[in-house]
Amino acid sequence: MTFIVELIDVWKSYNGIQALRGLNLEVRKGEIFGLIGPNGAGKTTTLKIIVGLLKMDRGLVKVNGVDIYEKPYEYKKLIGYVPESVSLPDYLTVEEFLIYSGKIRGVSTKHIRERIDHLTNLFELEDKRRSLIVSLSKGMRQKVAIASALIHDPDLLILDEPFIGIDPMGQHLLKELFSERVKDGKTVFISTHMLDTAERLCDRVAIIYKGQNVASGDLKILKQLSRTGENATLEEVFLKLIEEAEVKSTRDEMLKRGRL
Amino acid sequence: MRIHVILNLYIFKVKMLLGTLKASKASIALLIFYTFGLLPGLFGLSLTLSNAVRETVDINPCIEQLSSIASLLMVFAISLALRGYTVFEYEQNIILTSPIKPREYLIADTFSNLTSLSIFANPLVIFYLMIVYLLKLSISSALLILLSVLLFTFTLLFLKVSFSIVKSLYRGVLTNIFILATIFLLLFPSAGLISDLPIGYTLLPYPSTFLAKIIVGLVYGLDNLIIDLTGLSFYFLLSLLFFLSASMKNFFPSVSSIPFISPFDTSMRMQNLQMERSIRVFSRMGVISILNPESRSILVFLMKKEFIRVLREGSLFTIILLYLLASLIATSISGSLSQNQQILPYSLTFIVGVYSLTIPLMLVSNWRASDSGNLWIQLTSGMDIYVMVKALLYTFISLSSTIPVVVVAVLSMIYKVNPIAPLILTISTSMIGCSVNLYVMIGLIKLKGIGAPSLLIGLVSMLLSILLLTPVYILVMLELNLGFGDAKSWLSIVVVVAYSILITKILSKEIGKNIYNIEL
Repeated sequence: MTFIVELIDVWKSYNGIQALRGLNLEVRKGEIFGLIGPNGAGKTTTLKIIVGLLKMDRGLVKVNGVDIYEKPYEYKKLIGYVPESVSLPDYLTVEEFLIYSGKIRGVSTKHIRERIDHLTNLFELEDKRRSLIVSLSKGMRQKVAIASALIHDPDLLILDEPFIGIDPMGQHLLKELFSERVKDGKTVFISTHMLDTAERLCDRVAIIYKGQNVASGDLKILKQLSRTGENATLEEVFLKLIEEAEVKSTRDEMLKRGRL
Repeated sequence: MRIHVILNLYIFKVKMLLGTLKASKASIALLIFYTFGLLPGLFGLSLTLSNAVRETVDINPCIEQLSSIASLLMVFAISLALRGYTVFEYEQNIILTSPIKPREYLIADTFSNLTSLSIFANPLVIFYLMIVYLLKLSISSALLILLSVLLFTFTLLFLKVSFSIVKSLYRGVLTNIFILATIFLLLFPSAGLISDLPIGYTLLPYPSTFLAKIIVGLVYGLDNLIIDLTGLSFYFLLSLLFFLSASMKNFFPSVSSIPFISPFDTSMRMQNLQMERSIRVFSRMGVISILNPESRSILVFLMKKEFIRVLREGSLFTIILLYLLASLIATSISGSLSQNQQILPYSLTFIVGVYSLTIPLMLVSNWRASDSGNLWIQLTSGMDIYVMVKALLYTFISLSSTIPVVVVAVLSMIYKVNPIAPLILTISTSMIGCSVNLYVMIGLIKLKGIGAPSLLIGLVSMLLSILLLTPVYILVMLELNLGFGDAKSWLSIVVVVAYSILITKILSKEIGKNIYNIEL
């Protein structure tokens, strides 16, 4: 099995608060992988470590089989990333920003022009090409951010809550786009709160809770793990697994304090 | 009209204004720094003014100048009306949707504006007290000056509000013509200050002229001020009538809302909002793009992008404005010191030195407000971060040195002084200032996150810049006092530039390292 992302025993803390506690995770090449979990579970931290915005305390992260700390610049060329709250250079026009995104990723001049034409057409941004980003709505900005993440046609697209702020037509467009990319052998890695979307869209998901991987796999495997039955939805599976994880976590905590 | 409603609304608005002051220690520090930072300057100004008053025989130029300043204030207030009546978003959502009447809102708004102004004008109160003390004015004169200033301030506020309401209600061209004509009427007598035209404020019955005549008259102990006091009161009543009639209109549906930005709020969110507003204003001038993918060098491409930012966020405009001001000060100093040409290089060097240190701080602070939040783009792109640092530094250095170099060159040619000392200072201050400011900024972002207080960053940067510039200051002083001669002067330039390059290189490496280790 070829993994495009591997996290092995990854730990991360902020100001004494443990965000990740030995997280293990594998994302296969050519799949839509969903990272789901309650608020504060460590989803955004995980994505940020993979894309190099956060440094882990210990552990190993591999992208395409390469330790990300060994080649800290090169592996990023494979990735397109869109954060949850998107901050963009307000002073640039949409076209200028896409040119900029392409240039800093080393895309050739000819290819940049072609990609901009393709992406602005895909995201229905043609009439906004010469508009300053400051004048765009939240949904439009999200589309521009996703277009910029795709400018170099990356093998791995990582998106943190990609559907927030996008209208239903935009959401549909994104889902179609993700499926198209997977058909082309690319990988899409998303974190989301929208369980019904994850259920329909993702090939496999990982449920993380308190910085640990509670369960991962396709829905069939998760149903078996959670013993929720054949007809259970991802939401029911999720709630069951989180409940069990909470019980286990409380028991571990009490054991640690010597109360059991 | 319900007094309790006005009072409650006034208290609410003042609380909103002061709330941000209480929210952060940095805001309180900023207000204290603002007050005490201005004190030495105001003390010096009051001494100079009181001496000038004692030595001046002809009071007409004083009236003329004071009137022009007061007229400029009026023009500023009225020009704000060109955007119509603006309210903060919270006001539009909470207050304007309640059964409050326009007049009640306007009265509360005017008094809260006055409160805000008085907090900001606190150094002026100290200045006023100093002038009263130094000129030994009687209590009645001092009170009469205060009363006249208050009348004038209310006239300004009433005019600003009334013109804004008119603009909001009647958005046609005629309204703009009406406002612009008023501005022109207020401004045209200033032509007499810079030309031989026989016009001037003293010849016209303007509110600013009456105010100036009252103040100057009281300072010089003149008695016949009844006409001027009546004139000022007449304008006050006229503006009050204008205000009252405008407040009868329901202008609430025509207002435009702006984000709530308190002058005391130093948070990053506020700075971002201000920057966003600035980009909207400056982008109206037209979006000329110089960013194209054909650039062969990524460094040049990134520098172009930085130049676009500086242009569209208004930083370039501010730099040019600052140096125009500096040139004016230098020119006026040279005019007043025309008998003593030897002093000119010192004043030129001093002015250039002071201004040059503020430009890197402004450039880096603006970068932080508009672009540091976008660092995720570069950090996740796989680009070489050191190239980005180079592009930033080269843009900052070229911007902060080119304009002063031109200013120094022009002024030194006009006044035939040796430009070497100010040039050394400008180039070196620009290089060291930019790298130090960026180094401190990135260092503090790394330590404290994007929200590190900008005041702290500014102070630390200034101190470190001055420390690293000490050898340059010493060399410039020696050059000014000893006059090295041509060969030694050029050698001193080489030494200073080499030193500045060394500091810039060391700091740029550290900046790159720190950016790479920033956690976002």
